[in-house]
Amino acid sequence: MTDELEQLYQTTYTAVVRFLYRKVWDAERAEDLAQEVFVRALTHRPEKPRAWVFAVAANLARDEARAAVRRKRHLTLLKADPVAQPTVEPAADVLVEHDERVASVQQALSTLTPRDREILLLWDAGLSYPEIATQTGLALGAVGTTLARARRRLVDAHDRQHTIEGNHAAHS
Amino acid sequence: MRHIPEDELHAYLDQGLSRSQCVEIESHLAACPSCQAARDGIAALRDRTTALLSKLAPPRAFPPEFESLRRRAASEVSARRRREHRAAWAASLVAAVGLGWTASFLLRPHEPVGLPAAGQVATLPVSTRVAAPAQDRPARRDTATIQPSRRRAAVKAVAAKSAALPRVIPPPALELSSIDIPRSDVGFELDGMWRTMSWAGAQAEAGDQLPHIDGLPVVQVQVQTSEQGKQPLMVVAQQLASGEVIRTIEGPTSDVSHLLARRAMSDPMPTMTPGDSAPPDSAPSDTNHADRTMAMQRGDRMLVITGALPSDSLLAMIRRLNAEMRSK
Repeated sequence: MTDELEQLYQTTYTAVVRFLYRKVWDAERAEDLAQEVFVRALTHRPEKPRAWVFAVAANLARDEARAAVRRKRHLTLLKADPVAQPTVEPAADVLVEHDERVASVQQALSTLTPRDREILLLWDAGLSYPEIATQTGLALGAVGTTLARARRRLVDAHDRQHTIEGNHAAHS
Repeated sequence: MRHIPEDELHAYLDQGLSRSQCVEIESHLAACPSCQAARDGIAALRDRTTALLSKLAPPRAFPPEFESLRRRAASEVSARRRREHRAAWAASLVAAVGLGWTASFLLRPHEPVGLPAAGQVATLPVSTRVAAPAQDRPARRDTATIQPSRRRAAVKAVAAKSAALPRVIPPPALELSSIDIPRSDVGFELDGMWRTMSWAGAQAEAGDQLPHIDGLPVVQVQVQTSEQGKQPLMVVAQQLASGEVIRTIEGPTSDVSHLLARRAMSDPMPTMTPGDSAPPDSAPSDTNHADRTMAMQRGDRMLVITGALPSDSLLAMIRRLNAEMRSK
């Protein structure tokens, strides 16, 4: 049986992992979540699987982010506790794992508003304008406007960083 | 002739426009050098964005075989079916209340040890509980005169046989019953073996029907499997944040009521607290800290929560239990 979902899996798994990675910044976790998404798709059999898969991925990533915030709060509480303090290992900065160029793009991406970022990432994952509009609740006509702004901001933020870094290098 | 706005050029390059819009833009571009320049600039911006984002990619992912995901999905579907099966059972309990089946609050207040008044049954609908104390009082007065100093704070509960429960007249679908232990039940021993099991083991044994309140640590699980084909009697003890232990009991009505009757006999006298020593007539008994039982019954099954808590807490718990089982 040639399964529509199986075809989708073959063609979009990598894109889904990448989409999730750009939200959770953990390659293994992104893969786990991507597989979870497709398992859910298999049990739900959505009508428009491609858009559905990315919508579920976005939800899972959001849940993940909330859990991370809770963990962070917990760590903060532990840090505030003088007895517990010595045992707390601060989580390694995720940026350290990447090289500087990657970090600068990551930094630039973080300057975008959540909505602009979401739409840019969905576009980059291969979703069409109508699919993006459906998933984000944005009017179809506003997708282009949002993407125009998001792209410009990303590039500007990235270039500005490099200018600053260049100046620092020149002064030191 | 108007120039093409930036966002439309993005949409055009992203193939996000309709065919007619594309035709319109292309005919304008053919005749407008400034829009051509704008288009090229935007095309370059698009490429830059894509190039920047491409750096933010995880190491090459190796997708697992689709077949393995299919197997995972299949096992999740069967797990869901089991949950639905359980939910159907829970829903029947819920429906029992809604449709006017008997939900009983079983209460035996301040009973001295070894002196159960045989077979007394008093019922009072919730709505008229305060207005109808006369039914409730004689038994208490008896206990007070017999042994005021040894008044038990524990309120023991037994399930009456279903025949003893009066038919409910709507609207009060929920009914509180104050029932004393029938004398014949004294010393009654349940047949069969009780097994204390791990939570996982009990789940494997009893399926997903283990009665429990989500979010509370499970202290003990006891299961008694009777003869073949009959559903087991299950007792799940869980600890509240306050340290109190509550027990959720589910099983055939006769087994559950026998178990409760036996428990009422065998439990040691609980510690008295100042609040508990107040005369029962001066304070509503169900605000004291006393061992109470809240039960719901339908047909031959009974679901019970028992613990040293006010009755409204137990009622809230049994509602929560039902809501949870319904939502699964």
